[in-house]
Amino acid sequence: MIGKIKKTAKQILGDGTVSLFLGYGKNSLGDTVPVFIKQEKDVEKLVWDESCYYNLTRYFTDKDINQFEEGPIGVLVKGCDQKSLKVLLSEKQVKRDRIRIVGLVCSGMKNEKGDFFTKCETCDSNNPDGELCDVVIGQKVERKNREDDFSDIEKIEALDPAQRQELWSRYFDRCLRCYACRNICPLCYCNECIVEQNDPGWVRPSASKENNLYFHIIRAYHLTGRCTGCGECERACPVGIPLRKINRRMIRAVRDSFDFIAGRDAETKSPLACFRQDDREDFIK
Amino acid sequence: MEKRLKIVGFLCNWCSYAGADLAGVSRFQYPADIRVIRVPCSGRVNPLLVLKCFQEGADGVLVSGCHPGDCHYQEGNYYTRRRMMMLKNLLDFFGIDKRRFHISWVSASEGKKWADIVIKVVEDVGAALEEITKQ
Repeated sequence: MIGKIKKTAKQILGDGTVSLFLGYGKNSLGDTVPVFIKQEKDVEKLVWDESCYYNLTRYFTDKDINQFEEGPIGVLVKGCDQKSLKVLLSEKQVKRDRIRIVGLVCSGMKNEKGDFFTKCETCDSNNPDGELCDVVIGQKVERKNREDDFSDIEKIEALDPAQRQELWSRYFDRCLRCYACRNICPLCYCNECIVEQNDPGWVRPSASKENNLYFHIIRAYHLTGRCTGCGECERACPVGIPLRKINRRMIRAVRDSFDFIAGRDAETKSPLACFRQDDREDFIK
Repeated sequence: MEKRLKIVGFLCNWCSYAGADLAGVSRFQYPADIRVIRVPCSGRVNPLLVLKCFQEGADGVLVSGCHPGDCHYQEGNYYTRRRMMMLKNLLDFFGIDKRRFHISWVSASEGKKWADIVIKVVEDVGAALEEITKQ
């Protein structure tokens, strides 16, 4: 499979279809990192193994890449990354003709300990969508993964409000406000994030329990109806806050209320950017 | 004297604000625990405003707009409905009692309804806070 990836990368870099290729490589410590390839001879640096968990679609909204890269960009996407890409396309953050999508069939990624990521255990997109991709590499896999039943979230919901607050404040007490979760998120692309605005100052920058709670509420709210559950925020978090639980809770709420799943297609508007006249109203007095 | 609550009310200019005005003119009695902020439309109420209220120590928040179909700007309250539905959902998950956040539709002719809603909201917020202080 890696041979095919290298061949494709070499070909599209060589004939000038793309001026930059985003893929996976190894750093000097042997960790898998994103690599940016500009020359044909560098394609040998590409790797593909079970630690290629990075969501490379994050770089489409990167200011530097958009400023300095003129030509189309080639990129490796797994099935889960492709969902983020579809949201970016539907939000007009990336033009389809600016990218060459190389879809990869993926049978799950593993963390440093050698266990599958939880998102991979409940993955429904091992095979990327061939319609969107320019090329798909890999043999189609038939995997029957466990369906996400949201049971861990139901457990949290079963607690009473005070207990829930206690639970989250224990997690948020650790938060350093490093904003790794925001920086790694492919869908957090605002030029100026509200956490850096100080007039009006929506949320104070110092890391206290209270401020962190509101930061995380705002972060989750901004991803409501957009998050595809790629889990990069949770992986990037240096203090292990289960951010994906929060996002999945909202994914479920959006699915139940609006029958919408983000990343299903590249056309439908986000549910909070539109409405139906017969929306649920039982919570309104 | 009983401790007063601090409840922030975001009222749309065209319906709810006029409804609250009518409640005043008609001399309906309701608790004075609510602080009214007049906004052009309930669709103007950025969910961040609601969060900011809670962050700055409001005991409760009430967002009130026109009935669906009656919006002065045709569709503002439809967006509000979706936004506030999700916000309520999210606040609940983080353990901010859902009785502290309310949404209502009050038209310009519903002075009595406005008074009743404020009474109910104050009751709910009070009950939620009582539970918190008990623990």
